[in-house]
Amino acid sequence: MPSAHTPLHQLPKGAKATIVDIVSHAVFGDMDEQVTLRLKELGFLPGAMLQVIGFGLFGSDPVAVRINGTKFGLRRAEAEKVLATIHPM
Amino acid sequence: MSQSVLHFALVGNPNCGKTALFNCLTGAKAKVANYAGVTVEKRSGPLAGLSRPAELIDLPGTYSLYVASPDEQVARRVILGEMAGEVRPDVLVAVIDATNIKLGLRLVLELKALGLPMVLVLNLADAARSRGINIRTELLAERLGMPVVETVAVRKNGVGDLQTALRSLAASVQTRTGNLSLPERSEAVESVYARIDALLAECVDAPEFTPRWQDKLDALVMHPVLGVAILAAILLLMFQAVFAWAAPVMDGIETLVGWLGEQVGALLPAGILHDFVVDGLIAGMGSVLVFLPQIIILFAFILALEDSGYLPRAAFLLDRMMRGVGLSGRSFIPLLSSFACAVPGIMSTRSIANPRERLVTIMTAPLMTCSARLPVYALVIGAFIPHRTVWGLFNLQGLTLFCLYIAGIASAALVAWITRQQQGEGNSFPLLLELPNYRWPNLYHFLVGLKERAWIFLSRVGTVILALSIVLWFLATFPHAPEDATLPAIEYSFAGMLGKLIQPLFEPLGFNWQMCIALIPAMAAREVAVSTLATVYAVSGGEDALGSSLAHSWTVPVALAYLAWFVYAPQCLSTIAVVRRETNSVRATLIFTGYLFALAYVAALLVRQLSAIWL
Repeated sequence: MPSAHTPLHQLPKGAKATIVDIVSHAVFGDMDEQVTLRLKELGFLPGAMLQVIGFGLFGSDPVAVRINGTKFGLRRAEAEKVLATIHPM
Repeated sequence: MSQSVLHFALVGNPNCGKTALFNCLTGAKAKVANYAGVTVEKRSGPLAGLSRPAELIDLPGTYSLYVASPDEQVARRVILGEMAGEVRPDVLVAVIDATNIKLGLRLVLELKALGLPMVLVLNLADAARSRGINIRTELLAERLGMPVVETVAVRKNGVGDLQTALRSLAASVQTRTGNLSLPERSEAVESVYARIDALLAECVDAPEFTPRWQDKLDALVMHPVLGVAILAAILLLMFQAVFAWAAPVMDGIETLVGWLGEQVGALLPAGILHDFVVDGLIAGMGSVLVFLPQIIILFAFILALEDSGYLPRAAFLLDRMMRGVGLSGRSFIPLLSSFACAVPGIMSTRSIANPRERLVTIMTAPLMTCSARLPVYALVIGAFIPHRTVWGLFNLQGLTLFCLYIAGIASAALVAWITRQQQGEGNSFPLLLELPNYRWPNLYHFLVGLKERAWIFLSRVGTVILALSIVLWFLATFPHAPEDATLPAIEYSFAGMLGKLIQPLFEPLGFNWQMCIALIPAMAAREVAVSTLATVYAVSGGEDALGSSLAHSWTVPVALAYLAWFVYAPQCLSTIAVVRRETNSVRATLIFTGYLFALAYVAALLVRQLSAIWL
């Protein structure tokens, strides 16, 4: 079950959610801060609303979301940095 | 000093319509070049109608001045005046997609902090209005402290307003030299967005809305199964079109070239000049010119797909799969462009932020079947593969062509996979692919792009290929055969000698010396192999005639081996040159050239042996 803070890629398709936090991720190493900044610059900020619109060919990687009216594709690793709370459907 | 050239730069997020705007403002008089050492395509052109000479430069799309992938760094360095050989722009023309103001405004605020004179362009204003987005441009201009103009990619009135704004800026701005420095990043992204939200609340009414057809289309196109089927169908259609739709026009060009040869031939007295003009010049250039329709069709597909917003979806779908071989969805677009020509494909790898992935993409890009290979494929397929319909739908020749494309793709995947096994998986810059709104390709922009590509091809016919035709004709004509010659004249010529010299090397592949001669000038341009074969087989009368004489002198396994050779061999000096420039490494270039020739040799050998057994 998705908990209150679900990473993006675990949200179901079509779900609407509010971003709670952008957390660090060991996968990016020294680049992690840059990746966080880029995510924020593109509008992935705590409080922002998004909707999951689709997934890639295999499983939940990459994941496509709409945020501020723009659609983005994020890979698993980036998606794991974005924690969100799902809105009741 | 008022007559010094004023430099304007178009800056904005990727895909907000900068290039379409550029074409409108400069009348598409673009000089297309590359940034030295960085090689992202650079377009610049004269900006007419101002009180002083001015130049407009189209910068690569960027989201940010601070966090940047290599192609985004180009925009930053040009703006700051750090780019060698590039004049720092005097005026920034910031472009925003009006349907996506928030993201665009963030960059605009960063740019504004630089203190340069600016104009803000809200492009795609019609799309915004039809979504109920209402922008109070005068208020926005006042708040931002810069003129704001609404445009619709090509509609003249918007562009006229922009020109007026540029004119009034040009009258007041002084050209200055020297670098700018990027101010320290002092403000958190959160607080920038808070300012933007306040600004938007004041100046913009934007209902939460995307057209439903866009979402429906996305549900279809990005569906894991249906989406892939759609992608495969598009690619298959593209290759069928290249082969089938172009045929009538190609026949027309052939007839025209033949007629021209006859007319000119009739004017010249029989002799060496007659042979030179008719067999050397007209036949040589004609045999390459005939592929113009195929190249135009291929680029028409690529340009339309690029413009429609579909390509990033395909990249999204394929990302996981491409990552399986150590690439990413980002490699998809460079690799797809390489189907037209590896040179722009390799140049567009700039947008791949991970250096290792970029290198692998460069190394494998030439395995994508470029348009210069089409003439060779078309000739050999036409001569050896029966014209037959299979499964009631496809013609066998088109299907063979499709297989050659697949062979290249599969090999690229294998090569990428092997490199990845050796080097391990590094961490990568995020994919973060923007999936732009779908839109109808802009006809004007499409035609300009098509004209540019056709022109690049034609100017090659007029220069490299013309020169090679002359050299080849000379090599194939001199020295003359002795009076008592029993063999065809060409066997006594320089070309014959050269072909025979390298032929032993290709003996295991079954290539005869005529085939070997054709490989030499094909190093400059693959398609020249066709005109060389026409010359060495002393055939005039177009592709069909040449095909039938090939069918008499090559066996099927050897013909297939020749195709296999062309799938792999780096038969293209310009590609090797661009690899050298992009990797900036002699070693990488040597590996690139060596491994592809080795692959070509082995593949041709295998194809010959196996098809001799099976056929």
